[in-house]
Amino acid sequence: MNNFISSTLALVWQEAPVGRWQTIKVGVLEPDLSKFLVIAALLFVIGVAGVLTRRNIIVIFMSIELILNAANLNFIAFARYLQDTGNLNAVAGQVFTIFIIVVAAAEAAIGLGLVIALYRNKETIFVDKIDLLKW
Amino acid sequence: MTLTGWEAAFFWVFAIAALVAALLTILARNAVHSALFLISTLVAVAALFVLLGAEFIAGVQILVYVGGVMVLFLFVIMLVNVGAEERGNEMLFNRPAQVATSAVFLVLLSLGFIYAIRQGYEGLLARDNLITQEQRAEAANRRHARQQDLRPTATGTSRLSQDTQLVGASLYRFAALPFEIASVLLLVAIIGSVMLARTSKQEAATDDLELKDEG
Repeated sequence: MNNFISSTLALVWQEAPVGRWQTIKVGVLEPDLSKFLVIAALLFVIGVAGVLTRRNIIVIFMSIELILNAANLNFIAFARYLQDTGNLNAVAGQVFTIFIIVVAAAEAAIGLGLVIALYRNKETIFVDKIDLLKW
Repeated sequence: MTLTGWEAAFFWVFAIAALVAALLTILARNAVHSALFLISTLVAVAALFVLLGAEFIAGVQILVYVGGVMVLFLFVIMLVNVGAEERGNEMLFNRPAQVATSAVFLVLLSLGFIYAIRQGYEGLLARDNLITQEQRAEAANRRHARQQDLRPTATGTSRLSQDTQLVGASLYRFAALPFEIASVLLLVAIIGSVMLARTSKQEAATDDLELKDEG
């Protein structure tokens, strides 16, 4: 736990041997794998925020698309990292991404079919009004 | 793996565009605006894919997500009318207590993510012997040297990427079974969405039943 707090604080206040501003400058001018991972993590967090807080079921589906896209970004970033460090033909991450896109398309089609059926029966798209299974 | 020069500049432009558009997606009052902001996010992420050298996936992302899935979303928004939310009669978010709990959870989640990425990335660099600047430059040079061997385009200003060829070859060589399963999944999705979205009148017609009271 102590290690967690100090490492997280170190992100804000870095005590690297080369100096804090130098580290930030290199990080901004030469973004590496970790920057892509942080961007993907933030996209994921925004998607989870949408799922947890919005009432409109269509916006919730859009947030799920955001979450899946964050995973795709991670896969592509790691594929590029593997191309740079090891095998120059490493495209396994890109193949995985194709399957994620397929699953996302299928999920959107089924989900939106559900929304239409739901709207026809309950006349609402707000998730807190759809409480038939709530005990 | 480091991006330099213009690639770094475009990385920051598209990364910030993706994050801002994603935030606006979940904050917009009108669902159509949400859909348009989500399209912006997807296009910005596709641009990040191009920066990472995955041109084929970027194209698939634009075609499938923006051309297919988002059009589907817009059609459904058109079919279910969401007027009450736009006019401000309906609350946009859940109750304040739920939103506050989610906010606390998400702050902890992002701190955990940043901690994990930081620790894991250092370990990854140590494993792959990329600690010093020279070692990283050498790894980047290998990729750069390989790109110099690619065939030039007809205009001679750039080189043809082999990304599509590599992805296609890997897809059929190592992932043929998942590929076939994915086609079955898409078939199930087609049939499922048609079954879910049909009206009770259409259901009765296909099942050869008499309608009782509704239709």
